[in-house]
Amino acid sequence: MSEPFRRMPTGVAIDLPEPLRRWLAALATETAHDAVRVDNPVHRRLLGPINPTDDHDDPVKELQRQFGVEGSLGVLVETAHAEMISEDQAEEWIRALQLILAATAARMAILTDEDVAALDEKSTSTITTLQAIISLMIDALDS
Amino acid sequence: MADTETGVFSDTTTKQRLDLPWDVILWNDPVSLISLVVRVLRKLFSYDLATAERMTMSVHNDGKAVVWSGERDKAAAYCVALHGYALSATIQPSQ
Repeated sequence: MSEPFRRMPTGVAIDLPEPLRRWLAALATETAHDAVRVDNPVHRRLLGPINPTDDHDDPVKELQRQFGVEGSLGVLVETAHAEMISEDQAEEWIRALQLILAATAARMAILTDEDVAALDEKSTSTITTLQAIISLMIDALDS
Repeated sequence: MADTETGVFSDTTTKQRLDLPWDVILWNDPVSLISLVVRVLRKLFSYDLATAERMTMSVHNDGKAVVWSGERDKAAAYCVALHGYALSATIQPSQ
């Protein structure tokens, strides 16, 4: 496999295995689903109030943030199987991958470095795979 | 005190609070990459590399850092932008 992400004059070329693309799309869908469930730890992690002395944000701002989360994750789902995406879409991929990473950490109740160190092999693999994809996309966009 | 023309209430305490500088606090999280945090700080706040790296290491080592201070509305907007990258951020009046 060549470089998974390559910056080109027309955007960013993606060369990821199909199972990995499907996995990312499924995680993005799951994250979008969990983010709007107020009883879910993913909601609290991704859409908690920005002022901790308040129980909730201003409803309009809360809705804007929800749209932002759904928008970034939606771009990843829509372009998960694309060979080429624009730089704007690549930036949305970074946001979406970060949202997926944070959601995954919330589901695993990861709060500290010690929590990460105590993960089982499969959970560690999930976290490090997502981190590696984010790092590769950053390298491509900043090249 | 109520403005009978507009029906708008003026609250001195609230006004003073709004006039105070507000801090954007970025909190450490154990899964976000340092390179990602540096990149986001540079992108959102137009910080140079050295400033973004210094702030990121403060977050990493101290658990949190003030990454911006100023008007409340701008602080809230920056905070929301940081949340767009799933970074843990809050706002509070400057100490």
